[in-house]
Amino acid sequence: MTLDRPPVRHRKPAAPELPGPAAVLLRLRAPAAAVLVLAGALLPWASVVLPGGAYPDLATLQFFDAPHLVTGFRLHLVLLGLAAALLPRARKPAAIGVIAIALVHMAFLTGLGALSIGGPVTLAAGALLLWAARAEPPRPRMELKTPPPAVAWLVLLVAFAALLWLVSATLTAGGQSRATNPYGGAEFLAFLGFGLAVAGVLSAYGVLAWISAMSERHRIFSIAVLLGCALMLPFTQAGTGYWMTVASSIGVYAATAIGLNIVVGLAGLLDLGYVAFLGIGAFTAANLAHAVPFPVAALAGAVTAGVFGVVVGSPTLRVRGDYLAIVTLAFGEIFFRAAQNDIGGLTGGANSIPGIPPINVLGLAFNEPVGGLPGGSRYYMISVLMVAGAMAVLANLRRSRTGRAWLAIREDEDVARAMGVRTGRAKIVAFLVGATLAGLAGAVFAHKLGTVGYESFDFSESVTLLAAVVLGGMGTVPGAVVGASLLFVLPEKLREFSDYRLMLFGLALILIMRFRPQGLVSSS
Amino acid sequence: MTLIAENVSMAFGGLVALDDVTLTVPDRAIIGLIGPNGAGKTTLFNCLTGLYAPTSGRVLLDGRPLEADPAEAARHGVARTFQNIRLFSGMSALENVLVGRHTRIKQGLMSALFHGPAFRRSEAEAVERARAELAFVGLDPAGDTPARSLSYGDQRRLEIARALAGDPAVLMLDEPTAGMNGSETTAIRTLIGAIRDRGITVVVIEHDTKFIFSLCDHVHVLVRGRMLVSGPPEAVRTDPRVIEAYLGTTECSK
Ligand SMILES: Nc1ncnc2c1ncn2[C@@H]1O[C@H](COP(=O)(O)OP(=O)(O)O)[C@@H](O)[C@H]1O
Ligand SMILES: [Mg+2]
Repeated sequence: MTLDRPPVRHRKPAAPELPGPAAVLLRLRAPAAAVLVLAGALLPWASVVLPGGAYPDLATLQFFDAPHLVTGFRLHLVLLGLAAALLPRARKPAAIGVIAIALVHMAFLTGLGALSIGGPVTLAAGALLLWAARAEPPRPRMELKTPPPAVAWLVLLVAFAALLWLVSATLTAGGQSRATNPYGGAEFLAFLGFGLAVAGVLSAYGVLAWISAMSERHRIFSIAVLLGCALMLPFTQAGTGYWMTVASSIGVYAATAIGLNIVVGLAGLLDLGYVAFLGIGAFTAANLAHAVPFPVAALAGAVTAGVFGVVVGSPTLRVRGDYLAIVTLAFGEIFFRAAQNDIGGLTGGANSIPGIPPINVLGLAFNEPVGGLPGGSRYYMISVLMVAGAMAVLANLRRSRTGRAWLAIREDEDVARAMGVRTGRAKIVAFLVGATLAGLAGAVFAHKLGTVGYESFDFSESVTLLAAVVLGGMGTVPGAVVGASLLFVLPEKLREFSDYRLMLFGLALILIMRFRPQGLVSSS
Repeated sequence: MTLIAENVSMAFGGLVALDDVTLTVPDRAIIGLIGPNGAGKTTLFNCLTGLYAPTSGRVLLDGRPLEADPAEAARHGVARTFQNIRLFSGMSALENVLVGRHTRIKQGLMSALFHGPAFRRSEAEAVERARAELAFVGLDPAGDTPARSLSYGDQRRLEIARALAGDPAVLMLDEPTAGMNGSETTAIRTLIGAIRDRGITVVVIEHDTKFIFSLCDHVHVLVRGRMLVSGPPEAVRTDPRVIEAYLGTTECSK
């Protein structure tokens, strides 16, 4: 008989009490590590003076030029070191952040032909800190009291504004491309490591749970503020044409990933050809673009994709698990080949479909700058609204009879049937809703790019979308957005690694599965 | 509502798990099903709840043949629990019970998308009922604990609450006290009585003969796939065939 109880994790028994000096040394590990982190931050990081003139950002690498200039990743290291020294609970996340920052910079410096000096010291400090943090006894969870509404609103406002700043800073971290800053990729990754460490520290002190409890209590207020903050992004440092284009692409993929999250995350149906629905929406809208206004084209794209969702879903009802994955994989491949060969003259084949007009509302084309805002801003706003709508769909369905039936199917299909769930119908609805969202995103995709070609919908895109869902957290509402943002901004940031993209994603997924199987955003 | 297994046989390859079994589940009663391990009790449950299609014979619900489809059986009021607990372990206790209520909740896809007033009313009703079932089986009505972190005994109770939430006419319990201690077993016995008092027929598989003979209105003894004896507890207890075939085995300790 299976008892189905959660496995009990046995901690290693505490090390036996050591006599005198050894015990003192062990207890001194954490403070020593914190000091070492600070020292590492202030040491020179590169053995050679990198060509600085043309790249002002590289100045941060040259300790000797500006010994008191603690900026960029060094500032982050100092902050993490101070946190580790002063806040006992912060040690573990700070250690992970320190290790990440050190590793990233060492790797890049090596790539640039320089030996790192501060790097190994900081890495050692991070490892020492992690060792010290792991040896500490587990602490009870921190619970913060819920404040009165006025204070809660203020806290939420500050929290979401900080989130907006963080998103804007992350997006622009490391600059636009290799042309202006060869060190951009490292700066971005290191900033990401710092951001995750800060989130870890806040979580260790119960701040994240506190904020999320408040936002749950003041749901409408939170949603309004969050949406407002998202729409404010064009007014931050990310408000350039380039970043707006990147951000609206992320929005398109995020909405698609949310649709996939319904199919995979809620209903547990592994779909390996999902990007085809994005493609169907995009080609539908592209073909209609000159004939009908955007809302009609978008609706047509969504409906067509939804219909295909049902068509693909129906024959797959009889197969489960691995077989379903294979059938959907085949569908994705059929779509890709059909589009490549311009079946029915609908996809333009190798020539793509060019010249799709930009979205045009009241004679105002969406690609033109308006009122001091850069050109892509309104595409960004449309994609924010689309993502918000998709999140609402996921959240509302999740808390309904339909959503619970999906979860039940994911957990145990036979038992779901024994509870009266008509599993076939429920699965078709999952395919329908997911594909419709992807189709809608596809329509925006087509208009935004102005051209749609089959290459945008190959297998690796499906895999990336799936990775985004798993990385972010299966079945959670913000998970797919977080995952899609990371996975679709990273290639933008790390162009020099584009050949290794899938390999790096694979690595990231392995790490996630090992250390945080519930994904970055967990549901409980 | 009467549920009838009529000359049901079930073979898995060469292994005959059920051999020409006939069983009538009348209205408002507690029916006990006993028999040694491997006798085919769970297989009979699976046939009665549409999980298995019998190799021959048929299952009748109010005179109509029951499709081999658990979802249809559930819709027609046949609910069950499982011998090896099968909860939706990642979902909260309350959500588990809400899934049990699935067939009785009326919500269209559109209303679920927009959470309008009609949706909220139906959802509130369902939640209220689910909480009532949690309280009925003796669990915390808030139900926000994930099913997997409940204690073993509470998981068994949660399975019963989930089955009750669908307004069943017949509730089939597969070894509801397996792995429980004395006081927990007593509590389950009281619970089964309370379920019968709600007008629900209970079919229960048990190894504890004292439990069965004191609680049931009818007892069926299944041995090696055949229905050996059926009748009121007194008659079954004293039947020489039962004493030989069943009580003669290791199960007679109680
Ligand atoms: N799905 C199955 N496939 C093959 N054999 C099965 C299956 N289910 C049950 N059996 C066999 O049928 C017999 C009866 O099993 P079961 O109904 O579980 O017995 P009980 O519940 O009375 O202990 C056993 O020999 C078992 O191995
Ligand atoms: Mg059994």
